[in-house]
Order: sequence, then C-alpha cells, then structure tokens
Amino acid sequence: MDPIVITSLTVSFIAILVIFTVLIVLIYTIKLLVRLIPYEAPPAAARAKPKNSANAVTPDIISAITAAMATHLRKSPKEFYITQIHPK
Amino acid sequence: MELTLGTAANKIIGSTGFSSLTLGDGIMILVACVMLYLAIWKKFEPLLLLPIGFGCLLANLPLSMMASTDSGGLLNFFYQGVKHEILPPLVFLGVGALTDFGPLLANPSTLLLGAAAQIGVYTTLVGAVLLGFDLKEASAIGIIGGADGPTSIFIASKLAPHLLAPIAVAAYSYMSLVPLIQPPIMRWLTTPEERKIKMEQLKPISQTVKIIFPIVVTIVCCLMLPGVTPLLGMFMLGNLFRESGVTARLHETAETHLINIVTILLALAVGSSMTADSFLKLETIKIIILGLLAFCMATAGGVIFAKIMSKLSGGKINPLIGSAGVSAVPMAARVSQKVGAEEDQSNFLLMHAMGPNVAGVIGSAVAAGVFISLFGDITVSSDQAANTIELISNITALP
Repeated sequence: MDPIVITSLTVSFIAILVIFTVLIVLIYTIKLLVRLIPYEAPPAAARAKPKNSANAVTPDIISAITAAMATHLRKSPKEFYITQIHPK
Repeated sequence: MELTLGTAANKIIGSTGFSSLTLGDGIMILVACVMLYLAIWKKFEPLLLLPIGFGCLLANLPLSMMASTDSGGLLNFFYQGVKHEILPPLVFLGVGALTDFGPLLANPSTLLLGAAAQIGVYTTLVGAVLLGFDLKEASAIGIIGGADGPTSIFIASKLAPHLLAPIAVAAYSYMSLVPLIQPPIMRWLTTPEERKIKMEQLKPISQTVKIIFPIVVTIVCCLMLPGVTPLLGMFMLGNLFRESGVTARLHETAETHLINIVTILLALAVGSSMTADSFLKLETIKIIILGLLAFCMATAGGVIFAKIMSKLSGGKINPLIGSAGVSAVPMAARVSQKVGAEEDQSNFLLMHAMGPNVAGVIGSAVAAGVFISLFGDITVSSDQAANTIELISNITALP
C-alpha cells in the first residue's frame, strides 16, 4: 500500500481517538458540573402570576393568535376574524 | 491626445468587459447564475448561496477588479478577512450567541454522536488521498464532512488556500441539501421500530451550569488543541454573552447584526475566489464528489453509533438523532424530527436531536483542531519544548 495512504489511515485513527478523548473529558466535566450545581426550580410564588393577568386576553394575544391562524390557514388576517377565546 | 471617432469607438469597445471575456469567464458567470437561481427560487441556503453566487458573478466580470486575487479591488479587501482567519471565527461568535447548550447539558452522552459523525471527515480524508491530494489538501477536503461552513473555510484557508473556493461551495451546497441527503441513509440504517422509539423528556439545567460550561469548554479544549482556539473561543464567547445575562446588548448584536454583516463579507469573499482559473479544474469535480461522500459517511457514522448507544441503553435512544451529529445547526436536527415524525407523529425528537447537533459543532471544531495540530504551524520551538519538559521533570521531582 502507498505510504501516504497508510499515513492518512494513521492520521484518521489518531484524530478519531483525540476527538473521542476530548469529548469524553467534556462529558464527565458536564456530569460533574450538573451534579455539583443541580437545577433548582424557581419558587412557586415567583412562577405563578395573578390569576386575572394570566387569564386576561390582551390585544397582543389576539394579534399572536390571528397571525398563527393566518399562517395555518394560509389566508390573509383580513379574511377572517376571531369571535371568541376561551382561556382554560 | 488626438481622438478620432474611430479610435474613440475602438478605445471604448476595448475597455468594455466584452472584449476580454473568455470562455472560462462565461462558464463561471453561468455557474454564478445557477447558484443565484438555487438560492432565490429553490431556497437552498439563500443567506449564503446568494452572496456567494453574486461574489462569483462579480469576480468573473472581466476588468472589474473584483476577484479575490485582484490586489486593491474591493473584494480583495474582504478576502483578507478569510486569508487572515478573521471572518470564520466572527461567524462562530454569532453562532455561539444563537446556540442553546441546554439539550446537550441535559444529555451529555450525545456528545459522542457529535464525535461519531466526524467519521465522515476521516473516510473522506482517506478518499482524497486515494484520489491524489496531499495530506494537507485531503484534511481541508475532509472537513467538509463536519458540515460546518466556517470551519471548512477556516481549515481550507490555513491548509489549502488554493482549494478554498470549491471546498466552501461544496460545504455550503451540501449543507443546504441535508434534508435530501440524510433521510434515505437514516431510513436505510434503521428499522421502523427503532424510528418509533420515544425518548425521555430532558431534565432542566441550572443557569449557573449553562454559564460555567462555555468557560470550561474553552479551557479544556483550547489547552488540548490550541489551534482550535480562534473558532471555539469565539463560539464559547458568543454563548457566554447569551447565558451570562449581563451582556444583553452584546448578545443581541452578536446573534443578529454582527453575524449578518460577517456573513455578507465572508460569502462575498468566498464567491470572489471562484474565478475560472481556480474553479474550472478536475480537482473541483473531485472535491464535489468527496464532499458528498463526506456528508453520507458522517450521517451514517452518527446513525450507526446512535444505534449502538440505543442497544446499550436498552432502547432509550432513538438512532435517528445520530444523524444530527453533523453540524448544520439546526437543519440536521429538524431532519431527525421529520423522519421520526413520519413513523410516529407523536414522537418529538427535535430537542433530543439538538444535543448531538451542537455537539457536532464542537466535534467538527475539535476535528479542525486536530488537523491544525498535525499539519498547521502551531508548534513550539525545541527550546520551549525542552524548557517545558524540564519544568515538568522539576515538578515531578518535588518532594
């Protein structure tokens, strides 16, 4: 076999070895970091918004729903209008 | 100077581009028009192919002084950003600002898929050597398999600048063809049962970990492979802008205006290097073929490795996410999602595939770093090496 082909095979083998080594080091680094600094959910009080504002249908929400519907229906927003929104 | 009507007309005709137009220029103008067509009407990576195509068009208009080799020309100045390795790292800064490492941090073993997909790089390297390229050229061609445009340009400008144009065009063209190239290979290598595997929901990750991660990666990877520091360092800096929460303005600039401006400069510079002399060669055809081989092998490598991981994990990993181990963020992840959804519409693989997808970016940057370490100019002098060895001996000799 041509020496340059053997060299290229050697280079490939070493390079794959180096890549896996570097990335395995990163995997264990990540695992260590995640173990040392676990995720803490934000306090419930901070997450919950006042009921009124959460359920309020603002013009921004209507605009967003209209835009999404227009894309979904492939129609211009002028071709339909939203009559009712029932927040869950 | 006396000008008659005849000499004036001759002079004007002689000064037009038509008088100097060669067959090669004509073919390259046609190539540029095909690229513009693919970008505008077929929507193949339009953000890149359009400026590359237009750069190619400008570079092949005779007497316009717009080729990358025309000293003093506008695009020659843009090309300095490629030649001096400024623009690709700046693109990486923007990409880092756009990247969320959350899925990768939640499932770090997917980093291995980013490594496995680099198999495409090395099979192509061997293929390129077999086709007559030297090792530096073969490395620059092989990196196309990393499916990362800026990395391909970075390595080509460092190791084989004369092949920059065909390598960049092949890399970006195949990246735009990922949705066509990958699915048949993915279906061929997996069974319907494997494609239906639903993966567990990813666990949330602390913001502190997200902030520390880019710093740790920079330290670990850049110490191991210093050649990759311009790319990986900028990538991680961009990500730190995003995650730190204290540089909102820099983050916003990096992920929008900066990356857009740099993309225009980079793509025009690459396009300007596509002159008839540098592009219309047998090597270009070989590189285009090798580029396709690189993408196919990278996809296959990722999927096969994901199958192995699936078996070892007792069927917890869907092998389709392996194909996302090539970079091409986020297109490769979307392909995994699409092929998975074809089998089971309620299967959402997108976020799971984002892990290997960003791992692919790191993997291809590391692969580039290995090439630079092997073939680049990053070497320490014998004196420095001797000093380092002496220092290590002294440290180990301490009581």
